[in-house]
This record gives sequence, structure tokens and C-alpha cells, in this order.
Amino acid sequence: MKEYIRFSLVLFVIAGLASGILAYVNSISSPIIADNQKKAEILARKSVLPEASDFTEKNLDNFKYFVGIDKNKKSVGYTFIAYGPGYSSTVQTMVGVKPDLSIENIQIIYQSETPGLGANCVKPDFQKQFSGMKIPSLAVDKDGGKVVSLTGATISSRAITKSIKAGLLELQKAVKSGKSGGSK
Amino acid sequence: MEFISKIFTMSIMAIFVQNFVFSRVLGLCPYIGVSKKLDSATGMGMAVIFVMTLASTFTWLIRTYLLIPMHLEYLQTIAFILTIASLVQFVEMAIQKVAPTLYKSLGVYLPLITTNCAVLGVTLLNVSNKFNFIESIFNAFFSGIGFTMALVLMAGIRERLEKANIPVSMKGMPIALIVAGSMALAFLGFAGFKI
Amino acid sequence: MSAMKEFTKGFIKENPVFVMALGLCPTLAVTSSVANAIGMGLAATFVLVASNILISMLKSFIPDKVRIPAFIVVIASFVTIVDMMMHAYTPELHKSLGIFIPLIVVNCIILGRAEAFASKNSVFLSLLDGLGMGLGFTLALIVLGAVRELLGAGQLLGHQVLPQTYKPMLVAILAPGAFFTMGLLKGLLNLVTNKKK
Repeated sequence: MKEYIRFSLVLFVIAGLASGILAYVNSISSPIIADNQKKAEILARKSVLPEASDFTEKNLDNFKYFVGIDKNKKSVGYTFIAYGPGYSSTVQTMVGVKPDLSIENIQIIYQSETPGLGANCVKPDFQKQFSGMKIPSLAVDKDGGKVVSLTGATISSRAITKSIKAGLLELQKAVKSGKSGGSK
Repeated sequence: MEFISKIFTMSIMAIFVQNFVFSRVLGLCPYIGVSKKLDSATGMGMAVIFVMTLASTFTWLIRTYLLIPMHLEYLQTIAFILTIASLVQFVEMAIQKVAPTLYKSLGVYLPLITTNCAVLGVTLLNVSNKFNFIESIFNAFFSGIGFTMALVLMAGIRERLEKANIPVSMKGMPIALIVAGSMALAFLGFAGFKI
Repeated sequence: MSAMKEFTKGFIKENPVFVMALGLCPTLAVTSSVANAIGMGLAATFVLVASNILISMLKSFIPDKVRIPAFIVVIASFVTIVDMMMHAYTPELHKSLGIFIPLIVVNCIILGRAEAFASKNSVFLSLLDGLGMGLGFTLALIVLGAVRELLGAGQLLGHQVLPQTYKPMLVAILAPGAFFTMGLLKGLLNLVTNKKK
């Protein structure tokens, strides 16, 4: 019996020390992680909507989007993140939208699709084609749209395109309700 | 009805499309080590299914009711591996007492499971896929079945390989890996599937 | 002299991947590119060295019967530290290694060295053993990663190496390619060692 008490005491001490050290490391690293994510998001937002110098966050029924403002406080467009369940991950795309609801630029900010196939969605050639597109043309070529899918990765291409389209529809709703409601 | 179709989809995904061995490349140590004989492969497979399902149940409960309310998510890795290790120990003792015959066939594989990355892998994947309680359990169960299937298929092939005339340098692990590669290639055929 | 031996044995003679066939999961899963291979190798090396040192320091304090859970706690703590540090300072690498960072916990090499070496030897020798084994592991990962990235993308560390006319063998980057490459490399190694005898 005495032996068992010693065993559990030793394990308890080790586990206690371990969690203490981890709590300390966590207290150092978690602000850096949060900060990095914030910075990366701001950077991505600026790259898809280069004219904007500042962003204000807005929400409508769980749909979060940002209004981009230039130096003269004039609204130059919107950004939002589209979440598309792809082949092996949920692809996150930062989308920049002009005031007329056509796409300015997109940037894939997270993906873990198959290397060499779906992962090619981060290549500029794929992302560039979205610029200037509006809601009706947003579908992959196989589904009768204008988006040229990646070779051998229809699932990833379709997921990205669909998520962007869904986001744009939400944005359209949000912008309309914002205008008619007159809230500023 | 919707529930059943969701579970069905999940089973196909976990067993075939994202098979632990062929697609996620996890759990290879036992896969290469214990696939020489058909009976040991089956035994190991059953033990893995059992522990995976139990581990997912417990880790989900621990994460949801202990780690998250106390903001201790960073202790997740430690908590999960300790859960698995003690679970394996406990299951071993329980089976030894309740079903000695089962213990004889499974017993030797149980300690190996603690360091089987497929078990820790499935609990971590449950978290990163944001599965709920029921989904986690089913995902673990089907992933275990997928793993067992890979193991049993491999053992069948390796029993025959023993009699084949293979260059000396390729005997054992190299040829096993090549066979696994060919099977993974076949499983790649499931890759377009999305239900 | 013997210290030098403990250090270099992990490179070739007792290479954890090619000779002892340990730690196969991370070896095959993350070596789709050289960059991933290096990241994974160094992360595992850090955990290996740190846990080897601590365990050999604690070896008289830990009762024999509960040594495995105690080792696991030590290893898991170091893995969590690496995980958090990589998340903070190398977010891109952290993203691409993903679930394989926490899975270092169940890398058989680390528990294996703790059990077979660190729990029986002095702190200094354990450090050398951990460093040698870790670098041997990293070396094996880099070799695999280089072969797969070269064949599968025509690149090395993201730079185009083969002429653009080379059509990449995509399968080398996917899971089957991992098995094939590892199998063939191991066969090649067997061939060389068999000839020597």
C-alpha cells in the first residue's frame, strides 16, 4: 500500500510540474499566436482590397464582414472570409469585393488540400481569374460557370467557388438591409 | 433518417476514402510489425477498434467538461495520451479478469496500442474536425474498422509473399512497404468520392 | 571515444528510421517536401534531446513500475512546448505539419530511447544519444523528402531544380509515393549492407 502512495505521489509531482511549466509557456506564446493571426488577417484584407486603408467590422445574422474605407473615409468595398469544405480540409478564402459587388481579389488564407492537386489553389493563376467576377458567373466550368477548375481537383475548386458565391449572396443581403434600414 | 445517412457517409469516408493507413499514413508501426500472420492481424485490429472507440468517448468527455471550462486546452496532448495509456492498462486488467481466453488472444497487443499513433490520431482528428459526441464515437469506430481492414488485407498478402521468390535485399520490410504502396494506389481511386 | 560513438551511431549504423524501422508514421506522412522534413526532424530532435536529458536526471527518482506513464508525461510536455513555440514563431510550418506535431508524443523513437538508453545512462551520454538519434531521424526524413519532392514536383526546398519540361510524377508526393520511396530506399540500403558482408 505504501508503495502505491509513493507511486502516485511521484506521478502527481511530475504531472504538476509539467502543467505548471506548460501554463507558463502558454502565457508567453498565446498572445504571440493571437497577434500573428490578427496581423495575417489584416494583411490578407489589405491585399484583396488594396485601396482601403482602414476596416470596420460589421455583423448580420452571424455573417461577419468588413467595410473597407479609404483615407477620405469613403467606403471602397467589402471583405469577408469564405469557408468551403474541400477534399481534406476547410478552405478559407479572403474575398475582397468592390461596392458594385464584383470581386476585386481573392486570397486563400488556409488550406490543407492534396499537395500537387487541390493545394494548387494557392497559385496566382487560379486566384486571379476570380477578379471582376459577379455572382452569376461564380461556378466551376463543369457546372456551367466561368471558373476554370484546377486539374484533377474539381472538389477543391468547387468548394472554394461555392463558398465565395454563398458569401457574396450574404453580403448582398447585408448591404441591402444596411441601406434600407438607414443605420450608419 | 438524416442521422442514418450522415453516419453512413461517415463510415464510407473513414473506412475507404480517408483510410488511416492508406490515406492518412498513420498507425504504421503495428501495420508493418503485426501484419505477418492473419490471426495476429485480426487480434490487433479488434484491440485497436475497441481502444479507439473507448478513447474517443473519454477524450471527448474530458475535453468538453474538463479542459474547455477550465481554459486548459493547451494540456490537450498530455491529457489525451494519459487517457489512452490508462485506458489501455485498465482494459488489459479488465479483460484478463473477465475473459481470460480473449486476453490470451488480445493481451499481447494491448500494450503496443498506447504508442499506436492511429489511436491518438483519431482523438486529435475528432477535435480538429469539430465532431460532436456521437460523431466522434462513430468516427473512431469506423476508423478502427478501416485500420483493421488494411491490416487483415496486408496480412493475407504477406502470408503469400513468404512463399514468393523475392530478391534478398527486398525481403521483409521493403517488400511490405511496396505492397502497401500499391494498395494505397488502389485506395487513391476512392479519392474523388464525396458523398 | 565512447561518447563519440554514442553520438554518431544514430546517423547510419543504428539509424532509427532505416535500420530500426521506428517512427515510420511521421517519416512517411510529412516528407512530401524537404521543408516539412527539416521542420519535423528538428522538432522531434528537440523533444528527443530534452526528454533524454530530463529522464536520465530523474531516473533514480522515478520508481520502476510507473516509469512508462512518467516518461509519457515528460515527453508530452516537451511536445506541447514545441507545438506552442512553433505556432507562435513559425506559423506556416505549424500549419503544414498540423496534427503531426502532437503526434510526436507517440513517435516510438522517443519513448524507445528513453526506455532503452536515458533511463540507464548518464545525463551527458543521454544528451549525445538523443542528439545523434534525432539528427539521424532528421537525415532520413530529408533524404525521403528530397527524393519525393524532386520526383513529385521537380523542386527542392521550393526551388525549381529539374527543367520545366519535366512532368512531375504526382504520385510521389501522395501517400502511395511515400510507401514506394521508403520501400525502395530500404531495399537499396539492404543491398549495400549485404554486399559489404
